[in-house]
Amino acid sequence: MGKLQHIACEHCDLLLDAPQLQEGESAHCPRCGHKISRLRKQLMPQLLAYSITGLILLFLSGSFSLMTINLGGNISEITLWQSALNLYFDQYKALSLVVFVLIVVVPAVVVSLVLFFIMMIKFDARPKMLSNVLRLIFGLLPWAMAEVFLVGVLVSLVKLVTISQMELGWSFWAYGLFCLCYAKVLSLLDRYQLWSWLTHGVRYAPL
Amino acid sequence: MRHYSEGSAASNGLVSCTECACLSPNELTRCPRCHAKLTSRQAYSLQLTLALLTTALLLFIPANLLPMMVTEKLGQVEYNTILGGIILLWKEGSHPIAVVVFVASVIVPILKFIILYYLCFCSLNPGAISAKTRTNLYRLTELIGRWSMVDIFVVAVLVALIQLDHLLNVQPGNGTIAFAGVVILTMFSAKAFDPRILWDKPLTRDENTRARN
Repeated sequence: MGKLQHIACEHCDLLLDAPQLQEGESAHCPRCGHKISRLRKQLMPQLLAYSITGLILLFLSGSFSLMTINLGGNISEITLWQSALNLYFDQYKALSLVVFVLIVVVPAVVVSLVLFFIMMIKFDARPKMLSNVLRLIFGLLPWAMAEVFLVGVLVSLVKLVTISQMELGWSFWAYGLFCLCYAKVLSLLDRYQLWSWLTHGVRYAPL
Repeated sequence: MRHYSEGSAASNGLVSCTECACLSPNELTRCPRCHAKLTSRQAYSLQLTLALLTTALLLFIPANLLPMMVTEKLGQVEYNTILGGIILLWKEGSHPIAVVVFVASVIVPILKFIILYYLCFCSLNPGAISAKTRTNLYRLTELIGRWSMVDIFVVAVLVALIQLDHLLNVQPGNGTIAFAGVVILTMFSAKAFDPRILWDKPLTRDENTRARN
């Protein structure tokens, strides 16, 4: 299959000539303003770097305490896993799993799949299932709520800070940095670019 | 049935794959590149959006009436709903946080309901607002929807953290399940809505009856 000649805007279905982007340029739909594609400089190395860093940070944030409360000598401490899974023992099994999936599983899976995809493209191995990987990545994107969880942790901190001594653990900072990496990966992911790597291979990839 | 908008892929006999954005002739049922199902407009988009949205709206009632959190402080039990928790935060003096929670768990869901219902209405009766503005409204609902989850995460963290027996103990309330349901259902509802129909013209009543006969 050749390079795409025409495309249609995802949001308004306007038929357009496929943009030929240079690095650093982006294309918007002339009718509805939807950002169609954006070709970042050094896209592949950046995606590789941020997804590896993100995975390491997520692993680290699972290994330390998230926050500690000290209420008149009574000390209690939670980890990232516990913050989701403790609900499980309060008879809220479904809710606990939903929270766990949204804040840990989905972000981890998305970043791992991006890493896997980039590695496969780099080594020019393009098995059939790689298109399913790509579909899964874009399908999961709205369900990763790492940054929302971060705000949730801050809100609970403020709720408690008036009545007790609170301390944020290493896990919080690792998770915060993970959110930054994740946001960067998210802003780099470009549907057209990734699919064109998949169909044409690394020859068209700027690296 | 509808008139596809001028210059659209659909009116030129083409269909764009929603997964990989590859264009194909509209006789094909599967995308040649990624094998996803091809449809010019998502089937039953309006029906699905409205069904999910209405379910979410019904769930929104218990989500606001049932307690989100049950706090036991020195033997005294206290039930907090979403609004109750926000009022408590405001009274305690943490105004910025109270505003953040209010926006995330009250304003955002209500805004989503209004926008999505309005967009469904508009796709049948083209309204006063231009299609571009309506598409922007749709993008807004996709962008802000996830932030309503903040309150659920706060409850999860507090429940996990505060287990100090009789001194201070926090349990989740039934409102959490209803509220999580509202957030998830509205997200599915926004996903089910196909913004491309905002640019098409619906059939007039005459054309509709003629198409049916």
